Amino acid sequence: MKRRKLLSLLGLSPALLAGATTADADKTPKNVKPSDVGQIMAANPKGTPPPVRLVPMAPRLDTLDGKTIYLVDTGFMGGGLLLQQMQIWFNKNMPSVTVVFRKKAGSYMEDDPALWKEIKAKGNAAIMAVGH
Amino acid sequence: MEKMGIPAVPVVTQAFKDLARSNAGKRGMPHARITFTPHPVWGKTPEQLWGYVTGNDPVSGKPMMKEIVDALTTPVADEDKKEGMANVSVGPPMFGPDTADNLQKHFLNNGMTDFLPVIIPTEEKVQAMLKGTSHKPDEVVGKMAAGAFAPWTYTVRQVAVNAVMAGCEPEYFPIILAIASSGMAALGSSTTSFAYSMVINGPIRDKLNMNCTIGAMGPFAQPNATIGRAWTLIGKNLGNGGIAGDTYLGSQGNNTNYNNIVIAENEKDSPWTPFHVQKGFKPEENVVSLFSGEDLRQGHGAKHAGVLQNPMFDEQISDIFHTLAGLFGALVICDPLTAKRLVEQGYDTKEKLVDWLWKNTTRTAKDYRDSAFVYTFDYPRALRGEEPYATWYKCPEDTVIPWWPKADNIVLVVAGGQTNPFFQVGNLSYRVSVSIDKWM
Repeated sequence: MKRRKLLSLLGLSPALLAGATTADADKTPKNVKPSDVGQIMAANPKGTPPPVRLVPMAPRLDTLDGKTIYLVDTGFMGGGLLLQQMQIWFNKNMPSVTVVFRKKAGSYMEDDPALWKEIKAKGNAAIMAVGH
Repeated sequence: MEKMGIPAVPVVTQAFKDLARSNAGKRGMPHARITFTPHPVWGKTPEQLWGYVTGNDPVSGKPMMKEIVDALTTPVADEDKKEGMANVSVGPPMFGPDTADNLQKHFLNNGMTDFLPVIIPTEEKVQAMLKGTSHKPDEVVGKMAAGAFAPWTYTVRQVAVNAVMAGCEPEYFPIILAIASSGMAALGSSTTSFAYSMVINGPIRDKLNMNCTIGAMGPFAQPNATIGRAWTLIGKNLGNGGIAGDTYLGSQGNNTNYNNIVIAENEKDSPWTPFHVQKGFKPEENVVSLFSGEDLRQGHGAKHAGVLQNPMFDEQISDIFHTLAGLFGALVICDPLTAKRLVEQGYDTKEKLVDWLWKNTTRTAKDYRDSAFVYTFDYPRALRGEEPYATWYKCPEDTVIPWWPKADNIVLVVAGGQTNPFFQVGNLSYRVSVSIDKWM
């Protein structure tokens, strides 16, 4: 991937990162002196971001026919209603797909390991909605 | 899901396109197959949502359901099968050499400021700031994130750089470090446009000449102004917050985010116990307590506010409470004159007034359950059997219930110069109290 695109996806300004190394904003500079009269140096105010652990995407399915898809309502307002319409769409257009609707336990920021375990055991794919 | 080997498609509304893609990248899956819907979903009829589902993804322009099916069935590219670590950098430790004006522009153009001019953090100024604490420059102070993002870490030196930029003096630095150590960012990512507040207690208020009298919450003292500003800069630069559309989604924004709501409690003129002592600290300890939520309401908006004779401030505060979102708590800031009047009414302790306010500020269960915020945050708790939410969801609609789940959701502090008996109420929840002394 191009460096600029990757940085953009990481939410960082490419302009900030030119020629930099990891966490070097935290190092106290040695022998830093202005090169010219009237010029000064300024400390970088940024903190230290964590390294990004790359996560491989799961293998895709050959087909959805005969498969079970979980529709997961994250709990944000309106998400469940949207997924219900999606369920109707599958029933009309891909009737061989088994669609299971579940509302994730807890508020939208909370984890639901029991549901993930169920999907792992009984499902083939998942659609989660809605991010606002 | 993907980590478990289950192909998945997150569906996100169009307004959060940048956030969704950026966050996927930060979490190690830069090409996550995200489908977007028109925005908003909330409040739409089933017919309108059917239109969304049968229409196009507004970002890609492709039919939404075909895109989802393709996302679940199109083989993964080799690039997206990779594992390992990718380091991320935020630039060199120093910028320049350059002129002060150019460096000012550099900070501004790279999102490191609050869009007001900053003090350029030269090495000399940073070293002077570091003299405000006994802690070593490379000591890790904490970690911070503006929301559900991977947190960034920071050292004493990195906090010092931001304190310089905000205009702080070195003697303020222990307060900034205490705030930073809490890990609480003052620019949360929520669409709610959060406000943030701090209450400072202890002798450090007098030592720093903090203003807790006339204009206590206004721009009338350097420590009040710059300590609050430093919190915002910390949230931006050390916690990677405040990037509009990415790590900040507040729909309308909040003017108090420039330097937050800084309250040095007027302990000298208060008839009540200082807030930090209520939290278990000794009176001689220096403590900063942090709050988050929404904005301030003036007491003038209360029913019967401005009554010349016999003003009943308990009832007025309760009336203002009815304008607050129960999602957050209440931070009541009483002028000393108001506090003294409340003592005359019989509330000789904060606890007595809090108890009265909690018991007498009510609504019906129907009004409570009709709230979308309640559905989002409290209903899941009710389903788990958590009280009082479970009872509040089971009881008849006309049951009268307290506005707040617990009396602890209400906090009283005293600030002001006694020019008039006023009060303000912040729709703010208490989060944490941190020792300042530990950072001296």
